[in-house]
Amino acid sequence: MNKRGSHGEVAHVEGEMEVEKYVYPPGTLGERVAEALLEGKLLGIKCGNDLLVPARPYCPDYGRGELVEVQGPWTVESYTIIYKDMRGERLKEPQVIALLKPEGAQGGLIHYLKAEKVFVGLKARPVFKPREERRGVLSDILYFIPVE
Amino acid sequence: MGIPGRYVKEEELKRMAGVIEYKPTAKYAYSAGQALSVFLKGLREGKIVGRTCNSCRRIMVPPREFCEYCHSPAGEWVELPGTGRVETASVSYISARRAKLREPEVVAIIRLDAPGYRGDEPDFPGIFHRLCGVTEEEVKGGKVFGARVRPRWRPEGERRGSITDIECFERW
Amino acid sequence: MRANVHVKDRVAIVGAGLTLFARRLLETPQELAWEAASRALDSAGLTLRDIDCVVIGSAVDAFDGVHMKGEYLADGAGGFSKPVIRVAVGGGTGVMVPITAWWHAASGLCKTVLAVGEEKMSHAYPHPQGVFAYIWHPILERPLGPNLIWIFALEMAKYMHECRVSKEDIALVSVKNKRNALDNPHAQAPANITVEDVLKSETLVWPVQLLDISPVSDGAAALVLARESVARKITDTPVWVEGVGFALDSSFWYNRDLSYPRYVEQAARMAYKMAGIERPWKEIDVAEPHDPFDYKELHNLEGLMLARRCEAPKLLREGYFERSGELPVSPSGGLLGMGNPIAASGVMKTAELFWQLRYEAGARQVKKSLHKAVANSWGDLMQAGTVIVLSR
Repeated sequence: MNKRGSHGEVAHVEGEMEVEKYVYPPGTLGERVAEALLEGKLLGIKCGNDLLVPARPYCPDYGRGELVEVQGPWTVESYTIIYKDMRGERLKEPQVIALLKPEGAQGGLIHYLKAEKVFVGLKARPVFKPREERRGVLSDILYFIPVE
Repeated sequence: MGIPGRYVKEEELKRMAGVIEYKPTAKYAYSAGQALSVFLKGLREGKIVGRTCNSCRRIMVPPREFCEYCHSPAGEWVELPGTGRVETASVSYISARRAKLREPEVVAIIRLDAPGYRGDEPDFPGIFHRLCGVTEEEVKGGKVFGARVRPRWRPEGERRGSITDIECFERW
Repeated sequence: MRANVHVKDRVAIVGAGLTLFARRLLETPQELAWEAASRALDSAGLTLRDIDCVVIGSAVDAFDGVHMKGEYLADGAGGFSKPVIRVAVGGGTGVMVPITAWWHAASGLCKTVLAVGEEKMSHAYPHPQGVFAYIWHPILERPLGPNLIWIFALEMAKYMHECRVSKEDIALVSVKNKRNALDNPHAQAPANITVEDVLKSETLVWPVQLLDISPVSDGAAALVLARESVARKITDTPVWVEGVGFALDSSFWYNRDLSYPRYVEQAARMAYKMAGIERPWKEIDVAEPHDPFDYKELHNLEGLMLARRCEAPKLLREGYFERSGELPVSPSGGLLGMGNPIAASGVMKTAELFWQLRYEAGARQVKKSLHKAVANSWGDLMQAGTVIVLSR
């Protein structure tokens, strides 16, 4: 990759990010969200009359809101289809990533969607991993599927 | 109202639900740029090359394309003898990741000899490197401060155009 | 001599808040920012609706492994739908936060500003030291395998050699600050230790030993600033920002004499000029200089011209900088006693002076009468100086 500069060849030196890993604790609110996920529940936050999803530690006006379980169904607001992974390798089969909004809420979640026919407005619900495999993170949800 | 913030012990974190772990895999190729490429080429040839500022006439090691004081283009290249004096030194007992070293290493700033410099200027051509042949006690006793040193070069065939082409600076 | 800049509005600090400083906190960075900011607002009797602009400080993105740390923190710092800016000058960030908040208000742009500093150093494993590797030049320095402490050790050794200062003298800073922190409920490392304890602690990179260094920390600190007309309505005891200064030296740190921080002096001269202070060593009543390492407090005191060159260790030995001394220094406990969540630490120091000048510092309160105070942050490769002068 060497190039010519005004004083001859320009050198390069290689380097790498040396951190072993990052570990993120869930936070005070995240701890309750994590516990709910273990139970197969998704939480939002009630700020006045608004229900915000995902839950956050405080309302836009800085006040403390009330954590509530989000009831379905979820509606597909938008989606995209991915064919390659983040390194540019072709996936065995394309995956659908959808923005899903629960009924009566603001915001929503981005997650995998498995459906024969994908369209905006599709009603869906989450499919959780078996209880013993859950770790209190969003990947405890395998994907969303259409509601019968 | 208590003070916000809840301390978490390492063991507690291991049991906690909702913890995310993530390992970055970022690799970089850093361009040495124009002036530093000449410096690195000089190191491969066993030379320490500096550059003069056209405006304030100071000699810059490491060399740059411009003098950051005058913000003017740098001028002629100068080959320095490589000798100098220890400006400051310390003894490291830990590695870059804070692991205990088996043998401590002595690191230093070298104030390089250069034409027109007396040796007491607040700004000077200098190198950050290791010292060898110096004991911990000599550093701690302040004996190496001001000591005359020169580079100990790696054998010609092993030089790669890197700051480590100099193995260390040694007394002479 | 007075202001060297055109100031439209005089600006005061009217509220302050802190979280706990600790090695690892459960709270997310946003939650920490929110907790500190909420406290600062509460203390001023304001709500977020009363705030025009938000200033965020966070020093190092790589601690969290995220980009755009300002945007990441903005919700927690109260920035939703407001003009928001994030500043970062390494360890100098802390005091850069109130400085930036000051010019937002002094220029007339914003009537009220919420200023939040946050750092969470516990995310990176096995130790934030690994992340600090990125401060080094990738071609000239990193191949030598340096630890961040090397640069401090080289500077400390130079200072000791040049000024003929002993390790014992320097250790007194750690003893004083950790003891001061015993009165600070937010502190991470309060302790009653002796010079002997410091000298017996593990030598990491001589002359730096374990107890010479402030502990890595998670935490947040926040301030509320307001222009004069607004500040007078909020409180009867506003603390005025009289002067600000900041300067950056070259990144070629091994091309200059490290025995004295000339960039701190440049920043201090700028701030003192604005504040109309001609003899800081006489006029400043209390100081919170940056003390990530014990010798740094002495170095910064000299750069701030509160002691002559090489004179700070002698004054320290004589008790001059004790909380009961002529010039109390780091009555908060400093970073050595409080912990050092980088960008939060300088905001914490400014907050401490705010409380001191209002006689609200409780057990930490300096007993003598106080009028003028100075805080500074230092940062990067022995490069960044940020200074703020306050008065009551």
